[in-house]
Amino acid sequence: MKTTAVTIAAFAFAAPALGDEARLKPAGDVPLFHEEATAAGIDSVYDGPWEFFVGGGGAALDCDGSGFPSVFLAGGKNRAKLYVNRSTRGRPLKFEEKPLDIGADPKLLDNVVGAYPIDIDGDGHMDLFVLRVGENLLLKGGPDCTFTLANKEWGFDGDAGWTTSFSAEWEKGQKFPTLAIGHYVDRDAPGSPWGTCQDNSLFRPQPGDKPNYSTRTPLSPGYCALSMLFTDWNRSGTPSLRVSNDRQYYRGGEEQMWRVEPDKPPKLYSRADGWRHVSIFGMGIAEGDIDGSGYPQYALTSMGDTRLQKLDPDEGGRGEYPVYRDIAVETGATAHIPYTGGDKRPSTGWHSEFADFTNVGLLDLFISKGNLAQMPDFADYDPSNLLIGQWNGKFAEAGDLAGVAGKRTGRGALIADFNLDGMLDILQIDRGSNVALFRNLGARNDGGDPLPMGNWIEIRPVQPNPNRNAVGAHVTVKTGTRTQVRAIEIGGGDASGHAGWTHVGLGTAERAEIRVQWPDGEQSYPYRVFANQFVVVDRTKQQAEYWYPGR
Amino acid sequence: MAMAPRTIGAVAALALLIGARAATGASWDERVFSSHVDFDAVAAAGAAAIPDLIARGKTLFKAKFTTEDGAGRPKATQAIVPTKRKFGVNPAFARTSGPDSNSCFGCHNDPIEGGSGDIVSNAFVSEGLESAQFDSTDPSFSSERHTIALMGAGLVELLAREMTADLQGERAEAVKQARASGQATRADLLSKGVRFGFITAQPDGIVDLDSVEGVDADLIVRPFSRKGVFTSLRQFTINALNAHHGMEASERFGVRWTGSHDFDESGVADAVTPGDVTALVAFQATLAPPTVKSDLPDDWRVAAAEGRKSFESLGCTSCHRSELPLKSLIFTDPAPYDMAGTLRDGEVKKNVAIDLSQYAWARALPKNDKGESLVPLFSDLKRHLIVDNEVNALANELQAQRFVERDVFLTPRLWGVGSTAPYGHRGDFRMLDEIIAAHGGDARFSRDAYLALDKSQRDDVIAFLRSLIIEAP
Repeated sequence: MKTTAVTIAAFAFAAPALGDEARLKPAGDVPLFHEEATAAGIDSVYDGPWEFFVGGGGAALDCDGSGFPSVFLAGGKNRAKLYVNRSTRGRPLKFEEKPLDIGADPKLLDNVVGAYPIDIDGDGHMDLFVLRVGENLLLKGGPDCTFTLANKEWGFDGDAGWTTSFSAEWEKGQKFPTLAIGHYVDRDAPGSPWGTCQDNSLFRPQPGDKPNYSTRTPLSPGYCALSMLFTDWNRSGTPSLRVSNDRQYYRGGEEQMWRVEPDKPPKLYSRADGWRHVSIFGMGIAEGDIDGSGYPQYALTSMGDTRLQKLDPDEGGRGEYPVYRDIAVETGATAHIPYTGGDKRPSTGWHSEFADFTNVGLLDLFISKGNLAQMPDFADYDPSNLLIGQWNGKFAEAGDLAGVAGKRTGRGALIADFNLDGMLDILQIDRGSNVALFRNLGARNDGGDPLPMGNWIEIRPVQPNPNRNAVGAHVTVKTGTRTQVRAIEIGGGDASGHAGWTHVGLGTAERAEIRVQWPDGEQSYPYRVFANQFVVVDRTKQQAEYWYPGR
Repeated sequence: MAMAPRTIGAVAALALLIGARAATGASWDERVFSSHVDFDAVAAAGAAAIPDLIARGKTLFKAKFTTEDGAGRPKATQAIVPTKRKFGVNPAFARTSGPDSNSCFGCHNDPIEGGSGDIVSNAFVSEGLESAQFDSTDPSFSSERHTIALMGAGLVELLAREMTADLQGERAEAVKQARASGQATRADLLSKGVRFGFITAQPDGIVDLDSVEGVDADLIVRPFSRKGVFTSLRQFTINALNAHHGMEASERFGVRWTGSHDFDESGVADAVTPGDVTALVAFQATLAPPTVKSDLPDDWRVAAAEGRKSFESLGCTSCHRSELPLKSLIFTDPAPYDMAGTLRDGEVKKNVAIDLSQYAWARALPKNDKGESLVPLFSDLKRHLIVDNEVNALANELQAQRFVERDVFLTPRLWGVGSTAPYGHRGDFRMLDEIIAAHGGDARFSRDAYLALDKSQRDDVIAFLRSLIIEAP
């Protein structure tokens, strides 16, 4: 969060400014998107004063059993809204607003910053963790996209503050998830906002047959956490909590990672552990195994350059030490200034997420961009990035070619297959205007009709409770000699998360073998599946099941 | 890197399209591709372009691809998904792991182009992933396969397409009913009288596939290869071009899917264009189906008639269906059920359509009361287990292929069997009596019944089968 001018000199750019002339041209497909938020029936504006310069997220979730992701959208000073997905497979998107009745004061849906879907009580209905300025909300999901405030029922006091990030995991032996809540500036502290970052919180479930979050464990120091993610960075089976912090307001702070081991107090990784000092305007964490190493890389958005961190093979070993080196420059993923439009001032990056938008079998990187609020030292025209993964390990910018560029004020984003056509769409939440809903039409075709893309598969791993949606699982998809890994996680990005189908592009492969490493570390059967299918991998069954939409 | 020769294909150039030499090429040029077929131009030209297209396909089928055409795959394996060699360089030819030929005709030549082949032309099928290069015929490395005749392949693909539409339609209806009723809905998978088991759709959209039989879980009937794992002539052609010749089609190995125009590093960019593949498909799809030998001597004719009756009474036709009804004789390319890496409908402005009814052999097919053409292929286009504990001579493979277990094979089409000895998926049975006796598993009952016949009755069955021939000059 940045409200005052920051001089460009304050930035230590990792790469020289690259203009249009230096752009790497994508060798293969570029997706073509069509913006159709209004036509789809969505009218939701995230806006408000200083507290709502950051955030601007939402949640995508299947709340009606249709398999289609519906969306809960933060509104800031405006009321949060729920849009139920009424789309038909492969057709233009269609949403219908469903008024929210949470069984409590509807004003609780004001001042919402973002949201993440999570089935906390394991009843098969996705719940919502709603991030607010003020008391946070646990909304218990019910049938037909109904949600009821469950703070009291689940012993949660709301952890009031200015909440800007969230993540969750199921610790070993626990029936219910552990919740990590990231805060921003403590506005009531003396000297606020500078040097007044509020501590973050960890809520571990207390013993019992229903969720009970009556005990808070502080995560101190807090450095104004704009993104958090429980991630199994070293494949140890025990996720750690990565926290990306905004250097604008902390003093002596840095990027953080907490060791969160069952029945032990959380402990920060330190220099002695190999953790290196990185100080950025951290806004959004994305995780992806872009090089097939088995160890995930992390894209961290900031004002200026995006960091892309890779476990250092020399000093990090095989995950013994959390030593990361930045590969953003060598891979072309810095995304530090606008790539089109001529504005050479630094970019402001928010949500980041790895996904395969072309179904070619490589991860791309989407970064939503948008000036904070008329900050003159930063780009005014600041188009979102769509960095297309290339076979040589680099990224090639294609946001403008793809149709996601434009003068917007991006914040959070939801990347999901909203019309279940096998191609990932993007809902970008903009500050001060309606969301942008980009439907993926297929591959650009020199002015002709978009081309069908590569093969794909969408996977939903399920297991018996606890943790029925297998949060913390790693889904491995093998085609030919290539292996792709997706982690099932809750958190990261910019106050935005989605649950449901996990999408994997398969390129030309007609078949794939899926293995799931369940959250407890056990490996699944190998599941043989055909391409272009929705697949439910049930831990209790020896064969994967195919799922088909009803419309 | 040499660039691919110019593309031709304008309607006005049809006379040149096919087989033309580039102006710069000498008349003795060794290359096959002095020009390429322009798919869009051919599609736009419509029926007028088809004869030349087929002729070009025949030329390509018989052509011997050269290094300058892009033949050989120095840095790629035979895998059907683009796969680089881990290290080293492929030799120009390798009899086992390939490239093992520089011409389609090298194997498909018996008794005419497009036909089967002697056992000397067997292929050694492997995934081409791990241990992609091998110089052994040991089944732990590959599955040795006898060449399948392509006669009537267009009709076969059309049958498979219609069967796929039936099965997927039954699935869609079951899903719809289950969601509407809130009850699990069972649906028999039945097409053209062939039963592929059943599915059960749940109200939540999940479909139980445990009882699907003889077809892939995506309910696509794949009629090509011994195992029934290739959807279309187009897919088969692209696979074979790469595996056997090292000729890589751009629609599979090109820049969209590999980031490169020369994935195999042969030195030739986009060696095979979509139009070239279409020419090969058109040639294969219009190969006349096998027939029944018409000039039988009296003793053979009588024996064959008796043999046919026995063939049915023994239960052989429960799998080797005498005929399957076909609704449409319009062969379109690209095919409707191919996936990425094989040209798809959405990737072209217009399909190439070939009306097979223009051919006398198609018009001569008998019709049922629905007006459907009866295709006498002697197959159900379904996979079956072919061995058991006692009868297991055909259990000679060690590798599953593309999810199909090693002892499970597509019912071979017996039309033309009289012209395609030796027999069996590996071609290691010299006589029809031997291959019948090798049937176990799902065919055990019929095989036992056959063996229980006296010698003259068995001879009748052989006489019948030998009357099913591929016409050759």
